[in-house]
Amino acid sequence: MLSADDLSAFVLTFQLAGVSTLILLLLGTPLAWWLSQTRSRWRSPIEALIALPLVLPPTVLGFYLLLSISPSGPIGSLLQALGLPSLAFSFWGLVLGSVIYSLPFVVQPLQTAFSSINRQLLEVSATLGAKSLDRFLSIVLPMSKIGYVTAIVLGFAHTMGEFGVVLMIGGNIPGSTQVLSIAIYEHVESLEYGQAHWLSGILLVLSFAVLLVVYTTNRRGFKVSAP
Amino acid sequence: MIAANIQLQKPGFELRAEFEVPAAGVTGVFGPSGSGKTTLLRALAGLEAGVTGNLVVSGAHWLSGSHSMSVQERLVGFVFQDPCLFPHLTAMGNLLYARNRAKNSSYQIDLEHVCEMLNIHDLLNRKAGLLSGGERQRVAIGRALLNRPAMLLLDEPLSAVDQGGRNYLISILENIFQHIEIPIFYVSHASDEIARLAENLILMNQGRVIAHGELKQVLGKIDTPLNASDEAFSVLRCTIKSHQLPYLTTVQTAGGEVLQVPRQPLEGDSVVRLRIRARDVSLSLQRAQESSILNILPATVVALSPEIQQGTRTVKLDVAGDSLLARVSEYSVQQLQLQPGKAVFAQVKSISLVG
Repeated sequence: MLSADDLSAFVLTFQLAGVSTLILLLLGTPLAWWLSQTRSRWRSPIEALIALPLVLPPTVLGFYLLLSISPSGPIGSLLQALGLPSLAFSFWGLVLGSVIYSLPFVVQPLQTAFSSINRQLLEVSATLGAKSLDRFLSIVLPMSKIGYVTAIVLGFAHTMGEFGVVLMIGGNIPGSTQVLSIAIYEHVESLEYGQAHWLSGILLVLSFAVLLVVYTTNRRGFKVSAP
Repeated sequence: MIAANIQLQKPGFELRAEFEVPAAGVTGVFGPSGSGKTTLLRALAGLEAGVTGNLVVSGAHWLSGSHSMSVQERLVGFVFQDPCLFPHLTAMGNLLYARNRAKNSSYQIDLEHVCEMLNIHDLLNRKAGLLSGGERQRVAIGRALLNRPAMLLLDEPLSAVDQGGRNYLISILENIFQHIEIPIFYVSHASDEIARLAENLILMNQGRVIAHGELKQVLGKIDTPLNASDEAFSVLRCTIKSHQLPYLTTVQTAGGEVLQVPRQPLEGDSVVRLRIRARDVSLSLQRAQESSILNILPATVVALSPEIQQGTRTVKLDVAGDSLLARVSEYSVQQLQLQPGKAVFAQVKSISLVG
């Protein structure tokens, strides 16, 4: 059955996925909105940048992140100058990595949902006296429910399954940075196949359930790009 | 007074609109498609970016130089071609959305009264997607009214409605227009809608305002592109006189001329508007005897359109004080020696009574 370390890996993984998803929504909403409305020439480069984690090996991403959060890197030295603790091998370091790694999984469904809203509806709303925040909350948000469900589920599930980035920047500290995917790897390395079966089985069932939710809510043919 | 002198440059299109119309009643905006009617309306609402010039509405500067009032501040009600109901709300939800955001305190409007005028009581609990085109447009008009606009802008509101629904909706609109005391701009390319609803007219062509002013006065201008075309029409105000002839109703113009129109279920002395297409009017020098044409009126030629299109000219006539347009071939103009002052008989083949 599950050891104490396995359980804490579970808790940590869900905490990480939950916090990352929340941050992703706060960050992804304005970003996806801007991308869906803008005609700026910066749109394509920024879209490409956001989509990078879809094609890049997670270890590459993790490597650059590790460099930048190390005491001599830009983020690391900034944090040091502000007197804040280092992100390397910490929970918040993992959050940073997860947010970057899962960004396309949140931004893309939101952007698709926002782009499909008829602009004239927003014009009607403006003539009725609604300012931009009001328009967003009263028209855009309720009309993008499916996009949000997809974004939340994919963001959460993708963070739950990450391995490479975590290994590079978080290491493998049980109870502190050891997440499920790494715990499984550990078990296999130590030939503890029984433990590995348990954790893998639970992850498999959970991920399937999550995707089932996405595809049943999105029966109207919402396309999600996956690596 | 609404005074506009506005310009807008878009790729492949330029709007230059200069006009002055009273800040009351219905101003029709008429012109062929692509002439800039919708763009003009959107510019009035503040929905187009990059509009320059001046726009003064009842003393308030909506646009002056570089300062432009925001859409929200202008307090306009905009009814689009496509009703654009908010799909996540019911019909009632759409109405309340507008009512809850109404900022204009200069008059009140009652939800119950609006539903009654538009006959939408039975639709209120339905989602927008479950309504027909005509029903959706009625709710959209109600939504615009409940926001208590200071000006109502309608962009071909009947175009998404089928023929049966059109006649119904136009009578509803006519009733509403009589009851609200705000300026209304009504864009259409259908002359019967303009003839029925508009008191003032803005004529547009290729992004320009060609003529503006009181309806009959604008329609009577002989040198407009409208009057050089087959779309030219006249509007006559008449009084219902009698129903004595079989299948016919007799009406009388202000100047006392008598016309027969298809039988109408209207009482004597009610005032109606007739739209007569210029292409349905022909001219002769003598009154035709034993003709199937019912309406033959003595008239005097006032002017001829300077432009000849496809060998045809528009002739402006005076019929006992009313002006009437006729489309005749240039050949006939020469044969009959038509020129201002010439006495003729106008044979009117078809009349539509528009309201």
